[in-house]
Amino acid sequence: MDRPGNKQPPVFPVEPGKIPEAELLHLSNNVPVYLIPSATEDIVRLEFIFSAGQVKEDLPLLASFTSMMLTEGSKSHTSEKLLSKIDYYGAFINLYADNDRAGLIVVTLNRHASKIIELVREILFGPVFPLKELNNLIQKRVQNYRISRERVQTLAMERFFESVFGSKHPYGRQIRETDFRKITPALLKDFHSKYYTPDNMSVIAAGRISRNLTSMLDHTFGNLPSHSIYIEEPVSLLRGKATRKILVPKPGAVQNSVRIGSPSINKRHPDYQGLKIVNTILGGYFGSRLMKNLREEKGLTYGIRSGVSSLDLTGFKVISAEVNRENTRNAIEEIYREIHILQNLPVEVKELNVIRNFMLGEMVRMFDGPFARAESFKALHLFGLDTGYYYRFAEKIKSINSDEIIELARTYYKTEDLYEIIAGIP
Amino acid sequence: MVSFIRFMLNNGLKVIVNHDDSTPLTAFNLLYNSGSRLEDPEMTGMAHLLEHLMFTGTEEVPEYDLPLQIAGGENNAFTGNDVTDYYITIPSDNIETAFWLESDRMRGLKLTQKSLDIQRNVVIEEFRQRYLNQPYGDAMLILRPLAYRIHPYRWPTIGMNVSHLENATLERVKDFYLSHYTPGNAILAISGNTPPELAHDLAVKWFGRIEEKDGAQIGIPQEPEQKEERIMSAERDVPSDALFMAWHICGRNSSDFRALDLITDILAGGESGRLYNRLVRKRNIFSEINTWLTSDTDPGLAILSGKLMKGKSFDQAVRAVEEVFDDLKNKKLPLKETNKVKNKYEASTLLSNTSALNKAMSLSIFELLGDAGMINSEVSLYREISRESIMDTAIKYFTTSNRSTLFYKSKQKT
Repeated sequence: MDRPGNKQPPVFPVEPGKIPEAELLHLSNNVPVYLIPSATEDIVRLEFIFSAGQVKEDLPLLASFTSMMLTEGSKSHTSEKLLSKIDYYGAFINLYADNDRAGLIVVTLNRHASKIIELVREILFGPVFPLKELNNLIQKRVQNYRISRERVQTLAMERFFESVFGSKHPYGRQIRETDFRKITPALLKDFHSKYYTPDNMSVIAAGRISRNLTSMLDHTFGNLPSHSIYIEEPVSLLRGKATRKILVPKPGAVQNSVRIGSPSINKRHPDYQGLKIVNTILGGYFGSRLMKNLREEKGLTYGIRSGVSSLDLTGFKVISAEVNRENTRNAIEEIYREIHILQNLPVEVKELNVIRNFMLGEMVRMFDGPFARAESFKALHLFGLDTGYYYRFAEKIKSINSDEIIELARTYYKTEDLYEIIAGIP
Repeated sequence: MVSFIRFMLNNGLKVIVNHDDSTPLTAFNLLYNSGSRLEDPEMTGMAHLLEHLMFTGTEEVPEYDLPLQIAGGENNAFTGNDVTDYYITIPSDNIETAFWLESDRMRGLKLTQKSLDIQRNVVIEEFRQRYLNQPYGDAMLILRPLAYRIHPYRWPTIGMNVSHLENATLERVKDFYLSHYTPGNAILAISGNTPPELAHDLAVKWFGRIEEKDGAQIGIPQEPEQKEERIMSAERDVPSDALFMAWHICGRNSSDFRALDLITDILAGGESGRLYNRLVRKRNIFSEINTWLTSDTDPGLAILSGKLMKGKSFDQAVRAVEEVFDDLKNKKLPLKETNKVKNKYEASTLLSNTSALNKAMSLSIFELLGDAGMINSEVSLYREISRESIMDTAIKYFTTSNRSTLFYKSKQKT
């Protein structure tokens, strides 16, 4: 057949290029503010980050409840007032509390920025933790908790973290329904006063940064006093369980949820970048070996992925998939087979070339626009790393060879280290 | 303001280009005017199954993803009731690879029994994962056929049931592809660091030679007016009762749509929305509640879903919801509240337009609705809606006789 104009066009090398540095300023009370300016629509995204994550908890749920209660009433506003005002100015606000940190992200039109920043101060530094709202929240969360426990994905993931990090450490301990009843306003006030402090805070501003944004921030947050009281950090044991193969029964499950993985190094370790590449080959993108084998060749699952994640104190890697009951054993064997292949057979040049270009393309996407840049900046900043990390990563992507990959796969995917969790029906 | 150029190729393909040199990427969005509403009621799920098969290769390109990944690109797709959308983001230097790959699979697909068998299994697992193995996951599978008696919106894009997927044949998938994946039935939108002249030349070069075909004309049975309330109950092994309601509304292109959109925002836009504030925060009747519009081309639905707090009855819940709607119909809306939802619409439009991919998607959807320029004009049209017309719209659509209600009961007694 005559098919003019049907030949593959040339492909140019993918280059992440120069990564713009964030500009660092300090408010009068020394709170660091990082600016990531861009000529975009007239909006700005502000993130306020506190070292107030689960790792600081003496009791489960303190970090997440403190965070969720921040908008449930302040010294001068009821919850309804506070949230209506934010909505009125068309701002989007998001509170989070994860393993290591808690924070607030707000996106606002520049013309409303000063009012929004005032409200953010009230949310972060003036919450009153009213009992009635807390009790309502507890009831709601208990109900959501019960619903989430109907999902095999939740059951498998929880048990995975408990196995890998131990039931004593905040990274691994499971939440029980009784934990919700222990939360009181006094406990939350205590947690808040210890960890939502200026000396525990940093700010990342991204988008169209108006000339007076920094003075607004200084005016609003620069006069908050730092109190340098000594806080004893909770000490808990980070240690995995001895049992490595676990079934979490879930009667009536239509599919089983499978998690295979182990604790791992984090971003600060020199092998981390290489491990990221190995992970991508195994299950880190749509064309990965696990996706090809289990989905595209065998149709065993809608999706399978493997990921490597960094936490402040450690890290983990995990392979996840939901599979049909009858196919579960078969799927797990295929996962181990792919790991074994990665440890013993050199990756071919062709595949490695795909990986290199795909990952470099991902790096380009990581810096697409000010909001993506803010996320990428934060991902390093939290680990005390600078943009040099990304340049080294790009170099590693370009230069890694098949011997290194085998070595990394043997070091970090030792079969005897792997935990295997199945939630569902055996 | 999103500026763009627009042109049509001889074969009917519409192209829209927005030049944005603040990003190193270009987003490439190809939308087919082909969704599950075009399916045979005896063999549903075809549009979505075809979307999966679009990635399994052609004569020219045996593996779709591979060359794209080598060019640093990433892609995905989704199928809806009305459209199927394929999108790529790629470093701008390599944008031609996107043109090559997408024009290639519009020109012809290599559909094999083997890939059908595999993707059929993948989609069945997707069906299980999303609809059957999630608490409340099957609610829409029940609510849709309750609200729609004859319109194809009565089934979800994944398909009416697993057996339709099991029975899908290669011939039928091929038919569906040939009938609907024609240049005249598609809209291409480009946004990012690709100059419009270059985008134009590449569109002509890669898509220009694809033969014009007449797409299949499918008569879609339109839903007759609903005359009385429909009620259904289901009992499932879930921790709490849930209430689902659906009202028939207008199509996406009708002028009532904007007022309806603002209504759902007044009711459920964020935590200051009326439903959340009154029924979750103050009265503690629901643990969560939400409303949204299905935003379909043909007359769609406004849907409400809420999970009841333990100890609350369906009677209480329905009454509480009705009170909120009655307020909306009978009490003059505070100006502040209407301004709030209009401000929110403006802010979310601006926010969406900071991303090249979002811009490309919005441009193609708006073009399908009649004019890509709506990306810029909608904000002021929303601004013009009066408080009276919001109330009138609520009175017009949110009636009991126009409503379908699903009582989704918990079997668990704790």
